[in-house]
Amino acid sequence: MALSEKDIELKIREEAKKALATGEVSCVIGWTTTRFPDKMKPFFAETEAECDELVWNKYCINGTAKYALDDRYPSKKFAIIARGCDSRAINRMLKDKQLLRENLYIIGVVCDGKENPICEECQHKNPLTYDVLIGEPVPEQIDEKRFAEVEAFEKLSPDEKYEYWAKQYDKCIHCYACRNACPACNCVECYADQYRTGWQGKASDRIQNQVYGLTRAFHVGDRCIECGECERVCPMGLPIMRQTRKMLKDINDLFGDYECGMPDDAMPVLGGYTLADPDEFM
Amino acid sequence: MSVKTNENWEPKILAFCCNWCTYTGADLAGLNRMKYPENVRVIRVPCSSRVNPQFILRAFQKGCDGVLVCGCHPGDCHYATGNYFTRRRFMLMQRLLEYNGIDPKRFQAKWISGSEAAKFRDTVTKVSAEIKALGPNTKFAEPHFTEGGDK
Amino acid sequence: MKFKKTDLNEVLKTLAREYTVFAPIVENEEKKFMPWAESKDVEMEGLNTIKPPKDVLFPNVEKMYRYKMGLEGFIEEIFPEDTKRILFGIRPCDMRSIDSMDKVFLTKEYVDSYYAKRRDDATIVAFGCTEAGRTCFCESMGLNPNDAPSADVMMNVSADGEDYVLEARTEKGEELVKKLEGLITDGGEAKKDTKCSLVINKAEDLDKKLAKMFEHPIWDKVTKGCIGCGTCTFVCPTCYCFDIDSENYGAEGCKYRCWDSCMFSDYTRLAGGANPRPTKKERLRNRYMHKLSYFNERYGETLCVGCGRCVEKCPAHLDISEFIEKASAAELGKEDK
Repeated sequence: MALSEKDIELKIREEAKKALATGEVSCVIGWTTTRFPDKMKPFFAETEAECDELVWNKYCINGTAKYALDDRYPSKKFAIIARGCDSRAINRMLKDKQLLRENLYIIGVVCDGKENPICEECQHKNPLTYDVLIGEPVPEQIDEKRFAEVEAFEKLSPDEKYEYWAKQYDKCIHCYACRNACPACNCVECYADQYRTGWQGKASDRIQNQVYGLTRAFHVGDRCIECGECERVCPMGLPIMRQTRKMLKDINDLFGDYECGMPDDAMPVLGGYTLADPDEFM
Repeated sequence: MSVKTNENWEPKILAFCCNWCTYTGADLAGLNRMKYPENVRVIRVPCSSRVNPQFILRAFQKGCDGVLVCGCHPGDCHYATGNYFTRRRFMLMQRLLEYNGIDPKRFQAKWISGSEAAKFRDTVTKVSAEIKALGPNTKFAEPHFTEGGDK
Repeated sequence: MKFKKTDLNEVLKTLAREYTVFAPIVENEEKKFMPWAESKDVEMEGLNTIKPPKDVLFPNVEKMYRYKMGLEGFIEEIFPEDTKRILFGIRPCDMRSIDSMDKVFLTKEYVDSYYAKRRDDATIVAFGCTEAGRTCFCESMGLNPNDAPSADVMMNVSADGEDYVLEARTEKGEELVKKLEGLITDGGEAKKDTKCSLVINKAEDLDKKLAKMFEHPIWDKVTKGCIGCGTCTFVCPTCYCFDIDSENYGAEGCKYRCWDSCMFSDYTRLAGGANPRPTKKERLRNRYMHKLSYFNERYGETLCVGCGRCVEKCPAHLDISEFIEKASAAELGKEDK
């Protein structure tokens, strides 16, 4: 029988306390309440008493995995409460060699979706990597419409496409929230922060925003885990996933079925090659 | 209208050429007194996989009307595997640019070996003609480089 | 004085003959202050805009001068155009934020000529809120959502809800109202009963208390969730930090200034690469301290106006109002002197 929301919450607290009691874990990364009922904020429980502040409900939306990067060389483990998407984010960062598995204690929780549109497209409700699992694994769904939006957009004329994106990037305020929330954006120093190289202008105008958006899409396109954090955090509501999904769609079309953040050894597409790759440049 | 759109307008095309093949091919074209359009500016790179996708964006930003990346045929890379990475990278880049409204003709890639002087000439001539037909590029270009910019 | 709500477009049209009128316009699914034109969709009431109107006076990107090197070299300053502007319908919190920016850019000996020019050319029509967003807490910061004391013209919805009631408060304001002859009539009673949805417990002397709390353990806790993006600073109506950079094209180019954010790593990065604020803890502490303590020390008022934009938009749901309450209630340790 599936656990109720409240049961899972109690289990999370119990597991968090157990983890802290081992003495190997410095804090448990989960969620807690804010003054608004529909906003649950990331929370870092460091004591047993704080574990009782951890919550689990349909508004626990924020990703938890990326916070493990705050300290890349921790003296103690981070315990992370991980849904399917968070576990994929962890796999992403492990594979990118940004984290060490032995520095993590993963409390996996089966998640049946949150108040977030991206959850409807979720293909991995069960955590893929964990040390302890809360909840019974549920059957996974295949999202038939994963690329439907991209396919529809591809039909527009070049000028219509450009016009659409230009309008979107006019709204962009250059806050880098998408980058900072993205588990695939895990470079120690982002190209956009290397201001002396001149890749990225500091001004927030259409061209600079477009260049940023495109460069970011290309940088993370073959490593995107489709968690939708970029779109959720965007204060101006840009459809950022539409860019990375395009990359993923092409990768699937050209180089075979591909999904990131899985617990296998597959290289990111742009980090490898096969002799059998299609060739258009002859 | 400005000078850019009149009949004398010539596109600015940037060609990134691999040192070990296409650059030699272009050199051979010169030795053989082959004629190709002078609106192509060649930048020599150690390998076609040296070309960062940001170079392409940068070129459009700074007023180029087209970009061409040329490298060794698959299997012939001086560094054994460089051009296999190029192949994946730019097949995706071309599609992403198209998705963002850049005509795929404006960004092309081609394998040209050191002995294929004629292929270099033909490629460059064809690309140049195609881009000339498309007209000046205004997409992604900084206002300074497009008409109407406050120069 | 008052005019009919239905005459709003007529009023804007009249003003637009002589001024560039920035009004709250909904376009591209976003409400923001932009130049009015007949085809635009104005929304006076409802919630405040996501982006503050500060960019009318202090643009996101502002060219300062252009130059060319070599024998024909020159340096030429670029000044804001000579346009009379009206900021139409900004809320009391945003009006107060402009007062704060005036203090920064126009007082204490140095006058910022770019800001001063735009400010001189601007007439401000403030509009009392009719509805409070769920993150609005301006009353707790000492403001009144119905009234903006320093506006040139104060505008409110009338008690019967049919009209907009105007009150000119400065010479600029009277000049503006004069242009509307024929459209406005005398009388009208303003409805001023909007209340903030959020009331917070702020200690009277929070600024002085915070000044002692630089090393307080509270900072470790409140800053942990921050993801280090610049959203809070770019939606903040009082964040005025800028960076100066240049765009070069061969031998010529131009210098511009653009908004900067203290949440970014390069904000305090020094030339050699050292960074006195290495992590988000130091950066967020600086932001909160600036809003709630440093600014008080220099200009005698709190820089946070309680508009609630950062509370609504923060991707990690950090909440400055919650911080104010926590800090007000915090006990000082022996290290906090």
